[in-house]
Amino acid sequence: MKQAYSAFFILLLLGQSFASHGQQAEKTVSGTFTHLPFEQFASQVEAQTKVRFYFDPKTVDSLFVTLQVQAQPVSVVLEQALQGTGFHFAIDDEGRAFITSGGAINPALAADFFQPKAAETTDKPTDEPVTAGPVGRSRYVTAAEYKVYEIGAGGAGRVTLAGHIRDQKTGEPVIGASIYSESTSIGASTDQFGYYSLTLPVGRHDLKVRGVGIKNTKRQVVLRGNGKLEIEVEEDIVTLKEVVIEAEKDKNVSGMQMGLEKLDIKTMRQVPTAFGETDILRVIMTLPGVKTVGEGSTGLNVRGGATDQNLILFNDATVYNPSHLFGFFSAFNPDILQGVELYKSAIPAKYGGRLSSVLDISTREGNKKKFSGSGGIGPLTSRLTLEGPLVKDKSSFIVSGRASYSDWILKQLSDKNFAQSSAAFYDISAHIVHEIDDKNSIYATGYFSSDRFRLASDTTYHYVNQNASLKWRHNFNNQLYGVLTGTYSHYDYDVTSRQNEVNASELKYAIDQTGLKADFSYFPNSRHTVDFGVSSQLYRVSPGSFQPLGAASLIKPDVLAQEKGLESALYVSDRFDITPRFSVSAGLRYSLYQALGPRAVYRYAPGESRSEATITDTVRYGNNQVLATYHGPEYRLSARYSVSDNSSMKASYTRTRQYISQLTNTASVSPTDSWKLSDNNIRPQVGDQFSVGYYRNFKSNTIEASVETYYKTLRDFVDYKSGATLVLNHHIETDIINAEGKAYGVEVFVKKLTGKLNGWVGYTYSRSLVRVNAATTADMVNGGSYYPSNFDKPHDFSLVSNYRFSRRFSTSLNFNYSTGRPITLPLAKYYVSGSERVYYSDRNAYRVPDYLRLDLALNIEGGHKVNKLAHSSWTVGVYNLTGRRNPYSVYFKSVNGQIKGYQLSIFGNPIPTVTYNFKF
Amino acid sequence: MLRWCLALLLPACTEPYSPAPISSPPNYLVVDGFINPLGMTTIRLSRTYAIASKAAPPAETRATVYIEDDGGARYPLRETVAGTYASASALVLNTTRKYRLHLNTQGGKEYASDYVPAKITPPIDAVNWRAESTGLDIYVNAHDAANATQYYRWEYAETWEIRSPYSPSVEYVNGAMRPIAVPFPGVCWGNAASSAVQIDKTTALSQDVVANYRLRRLPPSSELLYSRYSILVQQYALTKEEYAYWELLRKNTESIGSLFDPQPAQLTGNVRSLSSSADLALGFVGVHSRTEKRIFISRQDLPGTWRLLSGYEGCLPPDTISLYPPVPRPPLPADILRGAFGSPDYIPVDPYTGASGRVDGYTAKSRGCIDCRTRGTSVKPSYWP
Repeated sequence: MKQAYSAFFILLLLGQSFASHGQQAEKTVSGTFTHLPFEQFASQVEAQTKVRFYFDPKTVDSLFVTLQVQAQPVSVVLEQALQGTGFHFAIDDEGRAFITSGGAINPALAADFFQPKAAETTDKPTDEPVTAGPVGRSRYVTAAEYKVYEIGAGGAGRVTLAGHIRDQKTGEPVIGASIYSESTSIGASTDQFGYYSLTLPVGRHDLKVRGVGIKNTKRQVVLRGNGKLEIEVEEDIVTLKEVVIEAEKDKNVSGMQMGLEKLDIKTMRQVPTAFGETDILRVIMTLPGVKTVGEGSTGLNVRGGATDQNLILFNDATVYNPSHLFGFFSAFNPDILQGVELYKSAIPAKYGGRLSSVLDISTREGNKKKFSGSGGIGPLTSRLTLEGPLVKDKSSFIVSGRASYSDWILKQLSDKNFAQSSAAFYDISAHIVHEIDDKNSIYATGYFSSDRFRLASDTTYHYVNQNASLKWRHNFNNQLYGVLTGTYSHYDYDVTSRQNEVNASELKYAIDQTGLKADFSYFPNSRHTVDFGVSSQLYRVSPGSFQPLGAASLIKPDVLAQEKGLESALYVSDRFDITPRFSVSAGLRYSLYQALGPRAVYRYAPGESRSEATITDTVRYGNNQVLATYHGPEYRLSARYSVSDNSSMKASYTRTRQYISQLTNTASVSPTDSWKLSDNNIRPQVGDQFSVGYYRNFKSNTIEASVETYYKTLRDFVDYKSGATLVLNHHIETDIINAEGKAYGVEVFVKKLTGKLNGWVGYTYSRSLVRVNAATTADMVNGGSYYPSNFDKPHDFSLVSNYRFSRRFSTSLNFNYSTGRPITLPLAKYYVSGSERVYYSDRNAYRVPDYLRLDLALNIEGGHKVNKLAHSSWTVGVYNLTGRRNPYSVYFKSVNGQIKGYQLSIFGNPIPTVTYNFKF
Repeated sequence: MLRWCLALLLPACTEPYSPAPISSPPNYLVVDGFINPLGMTTIRLSRTYAIASKAAPPAETRATVYIEDDGGARYPLRETVAGTYASASALVLNTTRKYRLHLNTQGGKEYASDYVPAKITPPIDAVNWRAESTGLDIYVNAHDAANATQYYRWEYAETWEIRSPYSPSVEYVNGAMRPIAVPFPGVCWGNAASSAVQIDKTTALSQDVVANYRLRRLPPSSELLYSRYSILVQQYALTKEEYAYWELLRKNTESIGSLFDPQPAQLTGNVRSLSSSADLALGFVGVHSRTEKRIFISRQDLPGTWRLLSGYEGCLPPDTISLYPPVPRPPLPADILRGAFGSPDYIPVDPYTGASGRVDGYTAKSRGCIDCRTRGTSVKPSYWP
């Protein structure tokens, strides 16, 4: 780009020098030229006159001039010299002679060149950056923009145009790019495959293409029938601002979806984190409506939902534990990520199985054109990504790995406790795309992560995530496509203890989920988009096995019976644009869950607190015999009404059902939390959410603002009796109570997308309340009245901002404030068995002090030379700049017989980090 | 770079916290003790009190307390010390019956614990110890061939010898120095009782065996080990319910504070008010006997490489009080003595003489360094060898 600029500048200078000589251009030429190469001829003419020649030396290398002239004007001389050679010349009024082969050019500008028609100016969208024409653009794109594509034949009325939008350099699909015809105001955006489908009237259209991180482009088409148009676009690497643009700039207002937060990896990279590594879950937590109990946890609480109520999908496969190292890292390597979508309300009908949210994480496709790589080196982890074509333009791979060296750091610390500790993790992800033909593509993803830690004790914790998904996408025609997806998810942990050989033991837990689903999208016409599909998934849970280790161990093996369940669903939804201003989306998902044998199920005396004493019967079920069935409709309704071009109202109602619950009795998510399937004794959870929002964009859609309110009720989620045993419990239902919850709130969000200063500000007022009103008073919590949930933080403010000083330097600032989370405090102390003890208040009756954190980061990009071997960047940051010790929890314990209060902070100091990233 | 405060790795992230005083703490009855079917029963009654209070727990005095069996037989307990109620003699109760504690407070409220079957505690097989590099670990071993115990709780009482490095030959009485009349004791015995909840269960094992349950860990630097140390381990067999109570009590007040701990829960026990359901009583009254075992560990039993500390390291060397300080216009020797030893907290040890044979001054140290009775009792326990 720099080179392009300087060339342009030189051209301007040249232009000026010629202008000053223009008047003397009419000098004459004399002399005898015999078989003189044209270049020498030209320089001799230039010596005698003020004419300057412009030609391509290669084209004139076989042109020789034999001529005798006396005081002839240049034009006459050239006419004689070039006669019969196939070359032509043109001289403009500044004395420049252009020599071309083929045809003469008209050196004069069009009469209206400097004063284009007014109509054309207004045609131009105001948000389009002014670029210097095709300067700096690749020849392909330039040519494609000017070419007129004739598509289809024999169509009449409306026809459908479909195809993919791909990156011209890497061949990766561009997701969420919009393509629209300005004259008809009809547009569409690409899906996760880069696929679009547009229904337009036959005739000529100018199609504009916009998207995140791509250069704006257009295509001129003459539509005569249904057809395909594949579009390749250029990555927007020269733009001065880091592009944080959503696909359609007015999507906030014009999009149907509410309660959706979409972030791409570029945005996420700007947010400073504790260990210098981009962390999608941390960024998600800065969005309104998303909370977490504390810093040492990646458990998300979305709009008052529990941490197990989020469906976390990694290329469609469910991830059960999305964290590393006690939650200080999220389990997703940033280098392979494309982006993330979080649905907080109005969850599309194709998703199901969790109550509160869907977090859909998608990976990038590898570079289809050439081999490349990237990586990073941080204080605790390093990562490396390789990608490239398998078959050029047809298929690609991307493989990414990440590993920690925290173990090494622990060893360097002098404290004895650390020497006995260890903590290490790694993860590997791979993604392969293969385009079989125009209509069929295959996508395969694999993911593996492993964590192992031991903390100043003899107990080693180890957990593993394994995920795989295989997708086959088939385009039936331009209006219908389908995706068949097979998924496999596995999570297991084991806890081993070896120090005392009599008690040496291993505790294991595992869950497997295998699923198959078919999703279809049908575009009957420009006003309807129909999605429908069917899915089924089989869960197998090994709820726990406790085994002796070594011959001397006296541990009695204890294995809990396997659990099995089948969850199936059917869905259909239609998005109907009733008028350009008013559209509705109506969806229905019907889910069916069957708990399957073999199993022995306890029956309990009705109306009594469940305990071993109230077991009345044990019923045995054979293999695959259905022991419990739950089913029900899940409504997904939403509507949008555009009040004006830049503001709209949206409303939605969502019902969700969840057949699997996480068992955790700790405030944060811990690696030994397990998942439990619904059965005769544990009912599925059901949630309903109503939400209404107002959306408005300012300043040509560069500032998005929204206010959303919601009211949510939750039924039958699990809570625990005091002192519940969750591990190796053969009758877990005796320790579980069904709780109901309600949550409501208002979320205000302002996002600035472009410019030197960008980022977002969010404020949420919300409440999240729980009630345990069991049939028996013994099981009630707080006397059966509503109490604040663990993550009830009424006020929550967050600011994420980025300021770009220059193309190479940018700085990011994060600010977070929230009300302290609720805790249970001791009310009084007493003396029993040689020590002071405490008597606790009602559950969650008090709060820890408020939470406040400020983070700062500076990103330094390496030079932008295109042909450098490797592009690099540095990120220098300070997490928790003020060093505030935000209490994670407050607790009281008796130390040497004295009750003492303590507050525990995860980060008590500012944490400086340096990360080096590279790309080749 | 490594100085960050990471809760799991660095304890520096834990800071003392004093919440705003919780106004009007509840005043509930607290019952501490157990019914011993084969011996003396001692029950302590007290009240809950404010977290911030530094006072002793308020005793519940002048209550009427008795043990009651499910057949209605009563065994009264009499108040010995304020708030402590004991059976008149060692009882021998019928272990096929269930028992409860019944009490009426001075304030006219009536409480009772739940009826609990009596359990006979098996003997302690062994209390043994191992010297590790990290310190001295003391273990308890027990078993029940009948598989009837399964739930165990232990308490312990520790005693250790204390030897002061000083044996003063003089004392300062009535403004004058004289040879000491009653020498300070050379040996004292320190005492401490366990405060942590120590429980174990064998339900996960194929036999009812407690193998090397670690009861105590003493660092090599512990002054308890300096001369001779003794630990008396007391064992109790629990019911499943009582075990659950102690486990929850421990979870609530001891093993909390890490990231993955359960939340504290309201815990009362098995004592209920018969007068009002809103009035709570705290504590669990179990019915079980007690078995004991004592061991001694002497200095010579410990690894020779351990550098044992007496706890008096800060007391050496002694101070010197010079009667004739080399300053212009020195004070009178009598004034110097009065200034130094006028208070009972500072004690002379020995005189020292100059070249002329004159007493030039006295060595001296604080009472805490000299009188071992500040750290224990000088009465030798009957069981001490």
